[in-house]
Amino acid sequence: MRYSSFTPYDIVLLLQGLGVSVGLFLATSLIGLLLGTVWAVIRYYRVPGLWQLMSFLAELLKNSPVLVQLFLVFFGFPAFFRVNMTPVEAATLTLSLNTAAFVYVIAVSAVESVGRDQIEAARVFGLSRWQVLRHVIGPQASAFAVGPLVALLVNQLQVTSLISVIGVVDLTKVGNILNLRTLKPFIVWTVVGLLYYAAAKLIAMLGTRLENRLRAHSAWKGL
Amino acid sequence: MLKAENVRKVFGSTVVLDGVNLSVQPGEVVSILGSSGSGKSTLIRCINGLEKLDGGRITVDEFDVSKPRELAEARKRSGTVFQLFNLYPHMTALQNITLAPIQVLQQPKAEAERKARALLAQVGLGDRGDAYPAQLSGGQRQRVGICRALAMEPRYLLLDEVTSALDPEMTADVLGILADLARGGTTMVFVTHEIEFARQISNRIVFLDKGKLVVDLPTAAFFSAKGGMAVPRIAQFLSKMRKD
Repeated sequence: MRYSSFTPYDIVLLLQGLGVSVGLFLATSLIGLLLGTVWAVIRYYRVPGLWQLMSFLAELLKNSPVLVQLFLVFFGFPAFFRVNMTPVEAATLTLSLNTAAFVYVIAVSAVESVGRDQIEAARVFGLSRWQVLRHVIGPQASAFAVGPLVALLVNQLQVTSLISVIGVVDLTKVGNILNLRTLKPFIVWTVVGLLYYAAAKLIAMLGTRLENRLRAHSAWKGL
Repeated sequence: MLKAENVRKVFGSTVVLDGVNLSVQPGEVVSILGSSGSGKSTLIRCINGLEKLDGGRITVDEFDVSKPRELAEARKRSGTVFQLFNLYPHMTALQNITLAPIQVLQQPKAEAERKARALLAQVGLGDRGDAYPAQLSGGQRQRVGICRALAMEPRYLLLDEVTSALDPEMTADVLGILADLARGGTTMVFVTHEIEFARQISNRIVFLDKGKLVVDLPTAAFFSAKGGMAVPRIAQFLSKMRKD
């Protein structure tokens, strides 16, 4: 094969790769957020047996490399459980669980950040544990958590680049392909890097706007 | 009737309440005096179910606070005002007051808000309903705390050192409101260090010392030379408090 230079079609390729990266990121973040929040609620209610299991699972996921988790799911699970798994399925499963583990940790500390005194007040006035979670803990915990969560999501977007290793054609994989074809690594990886940067910046900006809205109560509005 | 019988509460090896008996009839104002650590606040926390009893029984209108099924009903009948206000910082004054009436008593939102606004006006905060706690002064916060308790239309108002985090001027504001409530016939259990004020508004005074109830006397008798003042511990306490 002859090395060839860039063609206009490469832009389409890059955008397709970006689409795959962002799509997987959005899907796994959504699943991860939901799952991590559910785990945290299970812990709030101290569901016997279940919450210790959740904590243990979160510990495992957050203290081992994502790449190793990805290999375990993509190569290990099919061999051990005799199931078929496409690269996209393996990537979705791994990244969702990994995100969930970190969301769980953030959610737990956010719930614990809410003052005991207010919870006591709400209980004394007859609110149930669920009502306390919904009206008193929830809104304050989300305002507390949104900063760390946005930081986590920005990081998880970068982590998606690992899935190129198991053959998902994401932005990094497209970069790899273009690099091999053109042998112009400086240009290719600069463009790929800038595209990741733009996507991450967008997430961070949306996060800041959300954070400001959730924290409206602590902003001094003047008397 | 609010009734505590032989109440015992232990934290680790410390006995905080040791066989306390107390009953409060509707319409009464009962002040609980005693040094810090005498168990006053713990008694309030036992009445509203925040602490589990290690012995004895507390009933609010016959509902036993130690029984999970009856606790909800007991809690509906008592309203607590806290020393450090314990407001929900993410809610406006109005939302702080209406949360429990809407969620627990299932009042329609409009009705709960109308009542809350009336209560706020009553304590001189008619125009601050939309302020967040962070935008209110300590005295204003505590007035919101009182409104929040009153909004539940409790039969017994439990007040746990409600002025001890306030400066003298704010204390006077809050005590003025409590005096109005007392005149209006609100039943109160009033844990306080404000001796003179307790003397003015209470029907009865209870003195706790090291978890034991020392005396439970009508106000006049408590302050008379032959009554409470005849007990050395009380005479000593009162003389110390008055010097301050």
